[in-house]
Amino acid sequence: MRREAAEIREEWLGRALSTLPADRPAAEAAISGLYRLIGLAPPRFHWVSSPVAALTTVPPGMRPQPPEAADRISERALPPRFSSLMRELCRELDDQVRWVHQPMDQLIRREVRGSLSRSTTGSLLIPLRAAHDSGHRPRDAWYGTQCVSWVAHYDALRRVAGVVFTPEQTRRFELWATAARSCGSWWPHEGVCVLSERPVAMHTEVCGDDGEVRLHRADGPAVRYADGWDVYAWHGTRVPSWVITDPSVPRIAEEANVEVRRCAIEHIGWASYIDQAGLRLVASAPDPGNPGSELRLFDMREETRVLLAVNGSVERDGRRRQYGLTVPGSLDDPIAAAGWTYGLSAEQYSLLLRRT
Amino acid sequence: MTVTLASLSQQTGLAVLDHLEQSVSIPVVDGLQAQGDLIVIPLPVVASSVRPWSDAGWTDVPPEGVELLRGAAGGNPHTLVADPDTCRWTTDVSDSDGLAIGVFETSAVAYLLHPEHGATGCTPGAYVVRRQREREGHRARLVAD
Repeated sequence: MRREAAEIREEWLGRALSTLPADRPAAEAAISGLYRLIGLAPPRFHWVSSPVAALTTVPPGMRPQPPEAADRISERALPPRFSSLMRELCRELDDQVRWVHQPMDQLIRREVRGSLSRSTTGSLLIPLRAAHDSGHRPRDAWYGTQCVSWVAHYDALRRVAGVVFTPEQTRRFELWATAARSCGSWWPHEGVCVLSERPVAMHTEVCGDDGEVRLHRADGPAVRYADGWDVYAWHGTRVPSWVITDPSVPRIAEEANVEVRRCAIEHIGWASYIDQAGLRLVASAPDPGNPGSELRLFDMREETRVLLAVNGSVERDGRRRQYGLTVPGSLDDPIAAAGWTYGLSAEQYSLLLRRT
Repeated sequence: MTVTLASLSQQTGLAVLDHLEQSVSIPVVDGLQAQGDLIVIPLPVVASSVRPWSDAGWTDVPPEGVELLRGAAGGNPHTLVADPDTCRWTTDVSDSDGLAIGVFETSAVAYLLHPEHGATGCTPGAYVVRRQREREGHRARLVAD
C-alpha cells in the first residue's frame, strides 16, 4: 500500500510539474462547476501565457483597479470563498476516514500530502512569488488551495486506503481534481476568471526522502513560460539570472542578499572564487583527521571569514573536492573555525582522528 | 569476519560508488570522526552541552541500518549500521548548539556508511551525531553536501 501511495504521489507530482498545454475545455468546465458551488454563474475565461501576464494584465471587460485595491482582500474577493469551499470539502472527506483507515491516512498525509506540499513550495510557488514581485502582494493561501497536495491525499485515500466518499462528495472533489490536473494557476473574479498556461520548461532536482523536488538548473532558466518570462533557481533558491549565466566576483561583491551571494559562489566553486577574488589568507593549519590536507581561513567581507577545506574522500576522478564554509569573522584559527561548524572548540576539534 | 565496504553494502542493500575501495577492511576509530557534513563525537566530549532526554525513545539499529541524514539533491544518506542487538539510537536529544541529530549507544563496533564517503567504524561507546553549520549573514545555516 505504501508503494501504491508513492505511485499516486508521483502521478500528482507529474501533473503539478507538467509542461503540457492546458486542457482548456476540462479546466473551464471544472472551474465553472466550482463557481456554481459558491452560488455564482460560470465566468468568462481569460487565458494568459504566464503567471506574470495574469497578474499584470487586466482582462477585457474588467475595470482597471489601483494596485492597493487589487491587493485588499475584500468581502467580494473570490479566492477566500473558494478556499472556504475547499476546507469544507476536506472536513467532510476527513469524516469519511474510519478508525481502520487511520494508519494509512497518517502515512498518506506524511508521504503524499506533505511531500507534494514541499515539492510545490520548492518549485511552482517560486515563479508564482516571482510574478507577485511586480507590485502585487503574494497570496500563498490561494496557491495552497490550488496545490495538488491535498487533492492527492484524498485521491490516495479512496484509491489505496479504501475510504468511501459519497457520490455527491466525489462530484465536488472531481471538480478540484480536474482543475488541478488541467491548467496552471487561476485567479477568479466575479464574471471573469484569469487562467495561466503551464510553463513550457521546468527543471527540478530531487531533494528529500519522500521524493520531494525543488527547482534547479545550472545552465539556464529553471522555469520558462511560452511568452518568454522565466525564473532562475539554484538548488531551490530563486536567483537573479546573472548567478546562472554570468556569475562573477564584482557582481557577487555588489549583491546585498547573502543567500544569492552563496549561490553564485557555489556556481563558480569556492576555490576558484577565493582565487579570483584575491581573498586574504588569515591562517592555515593541517586538517586533523585528514592527513595531507590543509584548512585555510580567508577574510571574506565584514564579520565573515571562509574556511576552505578538503574532502576526506576522493571523487571518481581521483581528486579531492574543496569546499568553502562561511564562519564568524571573530575566528582567527582555522581549527577553531572548523570546530565552530560542528559546535566544537578548537581543542575538541583537534581530537578528530579520521575524516571520510 | 572482516568488515569491508562490500560486506556492509551487501548487509544493508545500499550501493556505494564503485571507485571506492571495496575490499579493504574498514578502519575502526576510537574517538572523534567526521564523514562529510556529519561528525561523530564521543558523548563525554560534549556531555556539558548534549544529553538524551530522560524519557528518550530508543530504537534498536536493524541490520539494514538507520538512515541518519540524507544529503542534498535527494542524494546520499549517512546510514548507521550495526549487528542485531548491539546498538540503539535516539533522536530525542537536547543540544545547546542545536546541531545534534541524535545519540547512539553501541556495545560492538558500529559503522557509518555513505555511498560517496565510504565507511568508518566506531568502537563500543556512546556517541553524538551532529550536523555541520555555516554562517550566513547573522544566522547559521545547516550544511547539506
